[in-house]
Order: sequence, then C-alpha cells, then structure tokens
Amino acid sequence: MTHALELEGETEITLRSSGDGRLFAIVGGEAVAVRLRQCFPWSEPNRHLSLRDEDDEEVALVEDPASLAPESRHALEQAVAEAGFVLEVTRVLSIEEEVEIRQWKVETRQGPRSFQTHLDDWPRTLPMGGLLIRDVGGDLYLLAAPGEMDRRSKELLWAFVD
Amino acid sequence: MNQDQEIISRYIGQPARLPAELRARIEREWGNQPVQLYALADLDHGLRLHESWLALGPRHVALARPVTEGTWTVHSVERSRIHAVQEAPGLSANTLLLLGMPDDPPLAVVRYTQRQRGAFENIRFVLDEALEGRTVEPTDADRVYADAVARPVRDAQALVAGRQAAVILRLLGYLTRYRRELTLGLTAAAIVTLASLVPPYLAGYLIDDVVRKANEGTMARGAAATIAWIAVGVMAALYVIRQVAAHVRLRLMSVIGEWVARDLRAELYEHIQRLSLSFFSRKKTGSLITRVTSDTDRLWDFVAFGVVDVSLSLVMLLGLGVVLLSLDWRLGLVMTLPVPVLCWLIYRHGESLNSRFIRAWRKWSRVTDVLSDTIPGIRVVKAFNQETREIARFEVRNDDVTDEANEIHRMWTTFWPLLMLAVHTTTVLVWVLAMPRLLGEGAPLSAGVFVSFLLYTTMFVGPIEIIGQMARTINRATSSAHRVFEVLDSEPEVRDVPQPVRLTPVRGRVTFENVTFAYDGVRQILKGISFDVHAGELIGLVGPSGGGKSTVVNLIARFYDATGGSVRIDGVNIRTLDTGHYRQQLGMVLQDPYLFHGTVLENIRYGLQSASLGAVVTAAKAANAHDFICKLGQGYDTVVGERGHTLSGGERQRISIARAILHDPRILILDEATSSVDTETEREIQEALERLIAGRTVFAIAHRLSTLRRASRLFVIEEGRLAESGTHRELLAKHDGIYRRLYELQLQLQ
Repeated sequence: MTHALELEGETEITLRSSGDGRLFAIVGGEAVAVRLRQCFPWSEPNRHLSLRDEDDEEVALVEDPASLAPESRHALEQAVAEAGFVLEVTRVLSIEEEVEIRQWKVETRQGPRSFQTHLDDWPRTLPMGGLLIRDVGGDLYLLAAPGEMDRRSKELLWAFVD
Repeated sequence: MNQDQEIISRYIGQPARLPAELRARIEREWGNQPVQLYALADLDHGLRLHESWLALGPRHVALARPVTEGTWTVHSVERSRIHAVQEAPGLSANTLLLLGMPDDPPLAVVRYTQRQRGAFENIRFVLDEALEGRTVEPTDADRVYADAVARPVRDAQALVAGRQAAVILRLLGYLTRYRRELTLGLTAAAIVTLASLVPPYLAGYLIDDVVRKANEGTMARGAAATIAWIAVGVMAALYVIRQVAAHVRLRLMSVIGEWVARDLRAELYEHIQRLSLSFFSRKKTGSLITRVTSDTDRLWDFVAFGVVDVSLSLVMLLGLGVVLLSLDWRLGLVMTLPVPVLCWLIYRHGESLNSRFIRAWRKWSRVTDVLSDTIPGIRVVKAFNQETREIARFEVRNDDVTDEANEIHRMWTTFWPLLMLAVHTTTVLVWVLAMPRLLGEGAPLSAGVFVSFLLYTTMFVGPIEIIGQMARTINRATSSAHRVFEVLDSEPEVRDVPQPVRLTPVRGRVTFENVTFAYDGVRQILKGISFDVHAGELIGLVGPSGGGKSTVVNLIARFYDATGGSVRIDGVNIRTLDTGHYRQQLGMVLQDPYLFHGTVLENIRYGLQSASLGAVVTAAKAANAHDFICKLGQGYDTVVGERGHTLSGGERQRISIARAILHDPRILILDEATSSVDTETEREIQEALERLIAGRTVFAIAHRLSTLRRASRLFVIEEGRLAESGTHRELLAKHDGIYRRLYELQLQLQ
C-alpha cells in the first residue's frame, strides 16, 4: 500500500498504512512513522493535515488529500478517522448538577458513557453546526444534531442550546 | 474503598480496580510476579467503548481482552522484547504501541480515551525508564490507577458529595456552641408562631360569644363591654409580645448566623494557611476566595433564616391545618387539601426556572467572556481597529441575555399571580360553601367561627411559599457547605512530626541523599539526586526548563516532601524539623516578586514585623531600593497596588530583596531573581543580591549563566538528575559538557 504524494508542488513523499493503526511516510526512501494532526478539526476536518514524526516535528502538510492517489488517500482517511475520533452522543439520559460539577449520562454511538463537566464549562457550538462538550478528563463529545434528538434529550439539552 | 475508588464507582462508571480474578490469573501466568501498574483500554480497534486491560509487571506486560462476560484472553509479552513505546494522541482516542524489533509488527496495540491517559502514561513512563536502563518499581497498582483515573473529577470537586442530610447535620453542628442563644431564638420564633394563631380565635370568640350575645340580650352590655375590652387588650398584648419575640428571633438568629459564618471563615482561612502547595496548584484562587466569602455568606443566610423559617413553616402549616379542621372540618378540608398541590406547584415552578437560570447563566458567561477578552486586550482591539466589531459582538450577547432574563421575569410574574388566584379561589369556594350555612341551611356555622376561619386562611400563603422553595434553599446551602467542608477536609501533605526538632540557629548545610520526587507517585521529576552543600556556599542551579531545578528548591523549602531518599538540614532530616521555625530561617526571592496590598514599609517588614524603621532603611539601602522609595509620593508609607502594579518589575524585585535582607535568612533561595528586568536594573539587583547572599547558604536558579560565575559550585540538573557539578571554570573545561554547551550557546546569542 505505497503511494507517491505530491506536496506543495515540489516535495514527494509516500504514505503507507501498516494496518495496525500506524501511518508511515516514506521520505527520501526512508520510512518514518508519522502521526496525523488535523489543523482545523472542526472548521475543515479533512484538509490541511499535518504529518508529524515521533518528536512532533512536521514532516509534511497535506493541504488537500483529494489530489492523492486513491490508496494513499485511503490510508490518510483511516488516519483522519482515528485522529479525529470523538464520542458521538446519540441520546442524553440525564444531566444533574452536583457540587462544582455537572454529571452527564449519555448514550453514544460507541456505547453508554457517564462523564462530568465543570459547572461553568458550557458546550461549544461548532462552525458546521452541532455541539461539542469537553469533559473534565479532556474527552470530547459531539452532538451532531441536537435538534433531531429524542424529546427527552432535547428537553435536557434545552438550557445548553441556543 | 478509598476516595478515588469511590469517585470512579460513583461518577465514572468503570471498574474501580483490575478485576481480582483477572489479576490473579495474570500473576499466575507471570510465575506469581505482581502486577505493578495497570490501565483500562476502553476503546477497541473499531473505536467502540469496551473493556480491555493492560497490566505491567517486573518482567512482563499483559493485554487482557474480554471473550465473554467475565472471561478473558490474556496475551503476555516479556518486557525484554519491548524496544520502543509510542503513543499517538488524538482528539479523544489515543493509541499506545509496544514495539519490538524495527520491522516486526507491534507487540501490542491498545486504544483508549483521554480519561485513561494518565494511567497509560504511568505505564509508558516505567517502560521508557527501563529502556533507558533505569528501574522504577511502583508498589501500589490499585492506588496509582485510581488516582490517575479519578484525578480530573477529584480536582474539580475533591470530595465525593456526601448525603445531603449528613452535610446539613454537620453544618448545624456549628450551632451547638451557641446553644443558649439558639434556644432563646427558637423559643422566640415559636412564640411568634403561637401568638399569630391566637388573634383570629379571639376575633371569632368576640363575635360569637360576646357581640352576638350582647345584641341578642343574653349577656349584659356592661359585662360584654368588659370582656370585649379585655379581649382587645389581650390581642394588643399578643401583638406586642409577637413583635418583641420577632425582634428577639431576628436579632439572635442573624447574630448566630454571623457567628457561625465567622467561625467557618476563620476555620477555613486557618486551614487554608496550613495546606500544602499541592492543594493550591489544584484549586483556582477565585474558587478558594469564593468559599471564604460568598459560600460562608450563603450559609449565614441559611442558618439565620432558612433553618427556622423552614421548620416553623412546617409547624405553622400543621397547626393551621389542625385549627381549621377543628373549627369546621368541611371548610377545613377545602382549605387544607389544596396545600400539598400548591407546594408541589411552587416546587415545579422552581425546577422549571432552574433550567431557565442555567440558560441565563450560560448567556451571562458569554457576556463576561467578551468583557474579560476585550478589556485586558483593549490595546489589541484598538491596534487592529476592531472596536465596531467588538461593540456589535457585545450587543448581540447583551440582547440575548436580556431576552433570557425577561423570559424568567415573564414566568415568575405569571406564576405568582396565578398561584394567588388559586389561593383566592379556595377562599371563594369557602364562601360559596359557607354562605348557605351562615343563612341557616345545612350544618350550622356561626359568624364568629367563619371570621376566624377567614383570618386563618390568610396565614397559609407565607408558609406554603417557604415550603415550596425548601428544596432549593437546602440545595443551595448544601452546595455551599460542601465547598467549605471540602477545604476543611483536605489534609496538608507536609506535616510536622509530633515532637519536631528546632535548629537554633540553622547553620545552612543542605544535604540531598538519593532524593527522588514524583508529584503523582510514579513519574519522577527528581530521579535520585545527591549532593552536600556546606554552610555559606553559593550554589547555582542550571539546566534546561523542566529538568527539576525548581523542584530541588521546593524540597529545600519543604513545600513538598521527597518521595524517596532524604533531605537533611545541618544533618537533620527535614521531615523531623519544626517547619514553621525552619522557614523563619529561610528566604526566597522569586522571579515575579509578590507585594501585598499595603505600604512599602509593611511589605519590607512582612517577615519581621518588629524591625525598627532604621533597620528597614538599612535593608532598603542594601537592596538598592532606598533611592527610588524616597522618590515615591509618600516614601516608605506609599501604598502599593494589590500586586505592586504601580511599581516596575525591577522596583518590586528590590523591595522583595530588602524584605529578604531584613528577614536575615540562613538559607536563601533565588529563583530567576533577575530574569525579567533590563540590563541596568539587573546590574542594580545583582549588586543588591551580592550584599544579600554574603554569609548565607544560597541556591540560585538562573538562565543567564553569566550571573552565576561567582557561585562556589554549579549544579547542572537535567531530566531530574544531577548531570554535572563543579565551579564555572571546572565545568567550562569539560569539552562535551552540558554546562559548556549551554554557556557557549548563550554567548553566541549575545
């Protein structure tokens, strides 16, 4: 699964997916394990992708994966899915306030989950719509379409949505 | 179950420890070697939530994946096969790879959310250290795992919210020391309630048994007048007694409330002063200030009025119900049956307002966000000509919050008149049912009883309102009490032994013996540092940021205790010293000197209140501060701002040096004392410091290595280790030395 990639019209590297979650960039014939960072995870999640080595130095910046050969693009898309993964809330079961924290019980596409937010930490409205909640541990929860959730979820979320 | 495990069980909804049977199985597979650390991998390869465990032992790593409920496949790998450990962090999913030989597939791949990251970082740290040839042997896997997982919740909340009743009882415990005043206050409150119940009864009695009989001629007018005047006199006396009791009750309960709030504030502040620095690094300053001020104030309100109001309202409602039913059970039922419904309606109204309040609060925070962004950043706003945009942004949010507030006003202004209408409806219903009976149809009802009845019904509204809002009152009080008790229940991590040693005076020898230190018990910031500094030496601490220099001086000041090894002062273990007495002989000059709100004089005398004015001037002269202080409007009596903002950085620094000189410490710590000032000011400060350090043991941290040329010895601290030590000249002589490299790099930059 090795494909050439044109970057900024002059640098040519090759991307390879190892199948175990690792992404390799072949730079000058040498395979470098890279991790992917989305420059704009919410504004433009699938473009401007920074490939960084073990020391977090940028190896390459992929501005538009659409220009890649299909298999390279596929390898990159897999990495985007993993790097951009957040828990997707499908239903809100309860939101309770306690001392200093707000306790959420939700169902996510990935399974049931309980999490906590600071009382003065509010869900963030995303540029492409939807809400993003960050819990005290740093995990992110995406509510892609709060307006389309079930009645109870909407009632519970009412105070947090404009 | 410790507090962290309780937090995990109660809030996080994942196992509070590695399942016992799985742990036993892993340890059996490892030849009875212990599990030293473990972490929960809560994402599978398809990034769905699930439960796998990664366990670390002295020689193995095991990955356990679930097969069916309670059964596991365990895949163990010898640690000797691990050649690298890589972590790929994502927004919410992280991947840890244990790698063997370069071209081989990974030995293990695990994925987990941010919640588990602390526990995995612990494992990664131990493996990385082993790859560097260093051994770290954690001993309490359950505690380390629970600490890592529960920490974010604990830092946000600290104590697991206990039962509401227990918290309220604990709060009321503060009243016991004012038993006498409390008894008086409660008695007065009871008198107010009882005295309120008598006048309506008297009114009924006068109408039925005096006025009517006198009109009918069954009672002599003279006797009737006497009884009537006595009744009026009793009523007048009762009103006077009631108001006197009300005065006593209000006065005493407010005073007791203030006393309780004062006691809590004093206890809280005293406890805060005793807490270790680690507590303050976890808690925001604003949050602590709020606990000492707003929370104790809210508790005053609850103790002074909430407790009595709620209990007396319950008594009042009960009493009114009994009286009304005994006066006339049919009319009594009409009045009493709606009471629970009315209380429930008030409760529901409070609940529906609550989500409105949360929404308004969120919108308020958007308004304050704009203010806290643009007012401190006004220069940037102006420089980029963004005033119009910022005004528009503020207007949108301001309108938004106003709409929300108006919606709240619409709700309560609709609800309360409607509620009163419901109360009046019951009164009208009473009239409807009573009227035929007053006119002689059905069961007899006297005019006097009916008047008493009507007077009693007006007394229902107040208690109903208080009972309806009881849940809210108690919730608010419990929440404040929680925040106060959380601080009171935090234990200082640095504590004196029962009979501590007092070094009088401290001579200044400081010895580190294989000192290790980890803030979280696993990841070591100091990894076995040893040195022996003689009294009077000037030690320069140099090295890259994050290497451990500040931790070394924090241990010398005993802001923290070493995790391993020992710190000795004049040969005595620092843990056995009287900390307060020891710190009296220790001075610190920090990069960002802190000046308290007060005069320059008060700030210089902070550590030695009894110092004479002459001594203050001498110290200020030695600190090169006397001249600029004299130029201030009111000299040494000039009040400096909350954090000394009216003075420049260099001036504040020189005042802090004067403070240290006056304090006359035996051990002095200089933490980047000259790093944030210009060259001329630095020269003046340097001169002042040279006077200050004479005759003391000094530890100086500095990034500008040229400032440490005069040091007796330099300690290069890198990655938690004492990498090099020696004089400036000795270290420069090392061709591939770290100090030499840093020094040359700085020379090039100059």
